[in-house]
Amino acid sequence: MALSTTVSQSKRIKRKAPRGFLKRIFKRQKPHLRLESSCDLLVHLNCLLFIRRLAEESRANACKNKCGIIKDQHVLAAAKVILKKSRG
Amino acid sequence: MEGSYIPDSEPTTRTLLRRLLDTEDPHTPRGRQSTRASARRTPLETPFSMRLRSQTKTTTRRHSHGARSIGRLAHIQTSGRLKEQTPRTLLENILLTAPESSMVVPESALKPVPAPQVVQSPSGESSRGSLELQLPELKPPTTLAPGLLLALGKRKQRLRLSEFQQGVDQELPLSPEPHGNAGASSLTSSLNLALATPPVPQSVQRPGLARRPPTRRAVDVGAFLQDLQDTSVALALPDTVLEDTQPFSQPLIGRSPNVRHSLPCPSSSAERTVGRRTQSSGPRLQNNSPGRPDQLLVGKAEEVDALAVGFPNTSNSSSGEDGLQPLQDGVGEEAEDVMEESLSMSDEEEAAGAQGSARAEEPKTHKEGTEAEGSWGATEAKELEGPSRDKDTAGRTGSPELTSITLEFQQARQLEFLEPAQPTSTAVLPPEPLSARRPPRARTAGPRLRQDPYKTGLSHYAKLFSFYTKMPMEKAALEMVEKCLDKYFQHLCDDLEVFAAHAGRKTVRPEDLELLLRRQGLVTDQVSLHVLVERHLPLQYRQLLIPCAFSGNTVFPAQ
Repeated sequence: MALSTTVSQSKRIKRKAPRGFLKRIFKRQKPHLRLESSCDLLVHLNCLLFIRRLAEESRANACKNKCGIIKDQHVLAAAKVILKKSRG
Repeated sequence: MEGSYIPDSEPTTRTLLRRLLDTEDPHTPRGRQSTRASARRTPLETPFSMRLRSQTKTTTRRHSHGARSIGRLAHIQTSGRLKEQTPRTLLENILLTAPESSMVVPESALKPVPAPQVVQSPSGESSRGSLELQLPELKPPTTLAPGLLLALGKRKQRLRLSEFQQGVDQELPLSPEPHGNAGASSLTSSLNLALATPPVPQSVQRPGLARRPPTRRAVDVGAFLQDLQDTSVALALPDTVLEDTQPFSQPLIGRSPNVRHSLPCPSSSAERTVGRRTQSSGPRLQNNSPGRPDQLLVGKAEEVDALAVGFPNTSNSSSGEDGLQPLQDGVGEEAEDVMEESLSMSDEEEAAGAQGSARAEEPKTHKEGTEAEGSWGATEAKELEGPSRDKDTAGRTGSPELTSITLEFQQARQLEFLEPAQPTSTAVLPPEPLSARRPPRARTAGPRLRQDPYKTGLSHYAKLFSFYTKMPMEKAALEMVEKCLDKYFQHLCDDLEVFAAHAGRKTVRPEDLELLLRRQGLVTDQVSLHVLVERHLPLQYRQLLIPCAFSGNTVFPAQ
């Protein structure tokens, strides 16, 4: 990861949900709570939707600045909005 | 075999076809019927050929194609005979409706057959199939012709078809023509179908079966360096043996200037001695004890190197320490005092074996200063380092020899650590690098493992982010995404906890998740949770989440 500074889009995306990872995160945050088996899939769905919204917002920000590459300030501005939205 | 095989007076379609084929292309690997075809071909040509042509346009065309394709194979095997065989065999194949065997197999079977059969005498007909046909051809007995013809007539269609198909396989572009001729007969139609299928599956590639390139996770530079250090500690020890002979080949730029002053000669000599191991250094040290700084240096270097080298070896350590002790007697410098202390301390720990030698070395390195300590990173030496550190500062000032020794230490051990560079002041040296390095690989492994799977999980979602944006992104942006994800997960867990507590539960249920999605505005009256699940999750997960009725009056997942 040292040569190019931008990420290419040619990689394949795996559609599996990292269920173990999600469970571990939840356990680390709230050790006194338990997570049901199908809930981690819904958490994964929630993550997907969050990332989708974040990506669209970042893309809009980058296009607004007439930038061909998404920079971290775009992402930051987008995150502010989306995190507020997905506060629940 | 050629013409006289079969009387040409029979104006059969077969003969006509054969004639046509002969005119087109006399190549075919099939030896079975070619002789017969050729025999018939010649006499009957003119009157019947025209009829045949009209009737068997398609077949002939196909046959010709097949002949051409098969002819190439035929060339290889037999020259004259195959020429005549081709038209007949092709015609027969065309006329046959169903191929008896696969397109490839009979051909391969046929190819070797003609050659040996040519050698063998035709044993007459046997109702086997292609092979039988070849037998009569090889020896063109006129008597056999009528019988063969009859037999051929029964099987010819199949054979021809199979042959033709084989020929088609070899030459894919034949398909248009047979398609054009489809009207001729059912055979042709079946042939067309057969022709259509073969090339398609080969050319089409299913994306689902394609192998996906292995996903690479982002390289954690910090973890990588840590891992490097861990491995270097393990690797450096065996490497010291090799490095002994290359004392100052390592760049010592980062080292203190004392290093420059350090006597290269003694160090080099020391290195040489080190190569010889501790045993020799022992007596040498004793010899040097009479008070020659240079010799002492050498001896010390030897010891140091010996200790360094012998780190993994208990024997070496013991010998090294023995060598050190005589040194103590002879050395009157401050460093000697320090050395004594270190030696004494090392003696205490000598019970540990190799570790003891390591510890002994460590205090020495500490004397030298930061670099030595930084390079070692041995946690065990911490205790030694404490008391020795005070003396290190004292001893440091006046001991270029020690620096040389440390140089050797460093060279021998941690070539990799040269870059991480070393703080100049010993006092400032934090014990952490030392402690982090040696003993508890577990310690370094712990934080690293915790970081890695967490990072990999986040990077998985970061990749999805880059996939959704369909735009190139900077690495900094990806890391920003990971930070946002971290925050998001925290918010998520808090919300779920609140929801579960509100329902008086200690377990998070899907209802809590649905409520969360609703509050986020993703699930509305128009868009339900199931719709979202169907849209974004793959099938296996959908089955798990959405209750569906199955046979036996069951619903899965149960509600």
